[in-house]
Amino acid sequence: MPALTRRTFLASLASTLPLAVIVRRAHAASAAHLASDPATLDALAEAVLPSALGHAGILKEAKAFRDWGTGYRENAEVLHGYGTSRLRSLGPTPLTKWTAQLDDLDARAQSAHQRKFRELPVAERADIVRAVLQGQRTDRLPAIADASHVSLALLAHFYDGSDANDLCYEAKIGKATCRPLAAQARKPLPMLKVSER
Amino acid sequence: MRRAVEADVCVVGSGISAAMVADRLSRTTGASIVVVEAGDESVPLSQRAATRERFLRYGENPWLGDHLEGYEIDGPLQSRSMQVGGMAMHWGGVTPRFSPEDFKHKSVYGVGTDWPISYDDLQPFYQEAEEVMGVSGEQGPHDMDPRAKPFPMPAIPLTYNLELLKHWASNAGIAMWSQPSAKNSIAYRGRAQCCRNDTCSPVCPVGAKYSPDFTWSALRKTNKVRVVPRMLVRKLVLDPSGKKITHAIALDRDRPNDPVEYHAKTFVVAAGYTWSAHLLLLSAQSGAENGLANRSGLVGKYLAGHRNVGAYIDLPLRLYPGMNEQHSLVSKQFMRGKAGSPFIRHDLRVWESSVGKAPRLADDTGALMLGDAILDDWRKRAQTGTARARAYYDIVPDRSSELTLDPARKNAWGDPLPKLAFRDAPESVAMRAQTEDSIKALFATMAKAGDGKVLRTNVDNFQDHPSGGCRMGADPANSVVDSWGRTHDHENLFVVGAPTCVTGSCANATLTFCALALRSAHEIERALPRKA
Repeated sequence: MPALTRRTFLASLASTLPLAVIVRRAHAASAAHLASDPATLDALAEAVLPSALGHAGILKEAKAFRDWGTGYRENAEVLHGYGTSRLRSLGPTPLTKWTAQLDDLDARAQSAHQRKFRELPVAERADIVRAVLQGQRTDRLPAIADASHVSLALLAHFYDGSDANDLCYEAKIGKATCRPLAAQARKPLPMLKVSER
Repeated sequence: MRRAVEADVCVVGSGISAAMVADRLSRTTGASIVVVEAGDESVPLSQRAATRERFLRYGENPWLGDHLEGYEIDGPLQSRSMQVGGMAMHWGGVTPRFSPEDFKHKSVYGVGTDWPISYDDLQPFYQEAEEVMGVSGEQGPHDMDPRAKPFPMPAIPLTYNLELLKHWASNAGIAMWSQPSAKNSIAYRGRAQCCRNDTCSPVCPVGAKYSPDFTWSALRKTNKVRVVPRMLVRKLVLDPSGKKITHAIALDRDRPNDPVEYHAKTFVVAAGYTWSAHLLLLSAQSGAENGLANRSGLVGKYLAGHRNVGAYIDLPLRLYPGMNEQHSLVSKQFMRGKAGSPFIRHDLRVWESSVGKAPRLADDTGALMLGDAILDDWRKRAQTGTARARAYYDIVPDRSSELTLDPARKNAWGDPLPKLAFRDAPESVAMRAQTEDSIKALFATMAKAGDGKVLRTNVDNFQDHPSGGCRMGADPANSVVDSWGRTHDHENLFVVGAPTCVTGSCANATLTFCALALRSAHEIERALPRKA
């Protein structure tokens, strides 16, 4: 009997269970896979996120992205728009697609360099990502769940956050966090560089 | 099995106007008050930090279950939200007053219709509303911003960014100041000070922004008011004379087969611009074949609002977006045109913005950037700042700007849903291009004064802060309610807040809805037993 890989597990599920259950289980399986083997995602983060974050900072952002994916709730109702009575909900979980795309990065690394993606130097990892994204729309950062590729989703997740904003302005702005009201009258304090923290 | 509930006052709806009325009546009278709400309880304060987090991460609705199923309607509904506290559970908390000219468009500019009350008539109730909610504000120049008394709380301080933008506006000849807001600049009446979480709309996680649930919570604790959620009022029933309402017939969403009757001496319809007129029309019956309070045929007519023109302006200023993006500067400099001047009135607000300065994936040549290149590119472009400017401008409402019963759409219980259509009166149609061009020219002047450039402008076609549908007036032939909100046709039936507005002004209108509701409450309380 062949070993039960994640793919064969998902395929066997598909033949026996209702779609909603399959989706839920596929999401959980993908989340578990990412949690148990985060190395490819971490390696991707090193290739696409800014080095100013430092190694620990990059791993922190990769984990935050993973947690975001794990916490995604397909079909959850989103905020009502103004001026319309139409209700909207979140689309399909992106997590299953992302895990497949991470597998694909590994496959490309194996094919081109006979090594895993995580074992390549950062510049070669970035080249693989560039090759994958060639021809895709990259004029602006997409909404995280709508990103066509996990690398774009990771970038969108990071650059949407307060940490990225602070990094850009090199100041402790703390966007959308609870902060003393009186302090807003002052110029934000400068942020320490990684080497100074 | 039929159930009946007795009270002195039955309030239909539990939004911000209902909260003002119930709060006032509970303070000044000994009346028994029941508040009937079709929606569910709103998410309690203790859970809002968690639902806010989901909103920030995924865009999820932080107000879980805040709507009735099957209420997709034809037309631009302001919001689908229906819950205890109403739409003001997710409002932005922005509380400018209307200007004196808002109440006399016909007299000053020769367009539209004058209100039956003046700014001076409403001023004490503005103050009362500001004190009930807790408004932080800064007195603007007196000629632009007339007030008899100070704000209850000091202004929300300007951010570092807004101080720079205020200076810029001043160079353009525009006086701007801190936007008055129902957000606590200091702890107020048991609620926390604002800590600029910056999600005032849709959800404040600390309770620093006023929302009606705080009023309901306080009133419930003292057993002064009974609030009944999940109870959809479907009809108000007249006595044989047709002069008074005897009871409301409601549907208990948990026991839909057992109708509930609410009997009261006074009925207050406080269900906003849509559901108030909708209920009156649904209540057509013998003696009121076209709906209640509709002898004039104007129930649902003259829906009002304002449109906005916005701009993003690139300025050579080092701004730090994210300090408090929902707080703004405001000016009333363009709201106070003198008699005989063209009818071009608008407010003006300015916010910090990151538009045009957001991180991007491709450089100017279209080449993909990764890693440090994205951050380096972003840092370069963020050396200058962006101001967001927006002006709401007046629209004279047309009679055909209306809510009607939709023969094609019904709710789960067979009642026709409302259908909404907003239309400008001919005077506004004629002025639209000139008004919008004038505002765009102002933005260009502002940009030039700061050595900046307008990145883009936009006109939002949606009429914001909608109101009307049961407009007030002295003449029963051309209005639905008198200046107190009492319907001309039925002596114990009041409509309060947004629906009673004659015009929508050119500024956020919620404070005015509250002031009008409080003024109605002062009239309603005269017929009720005084507090022991």
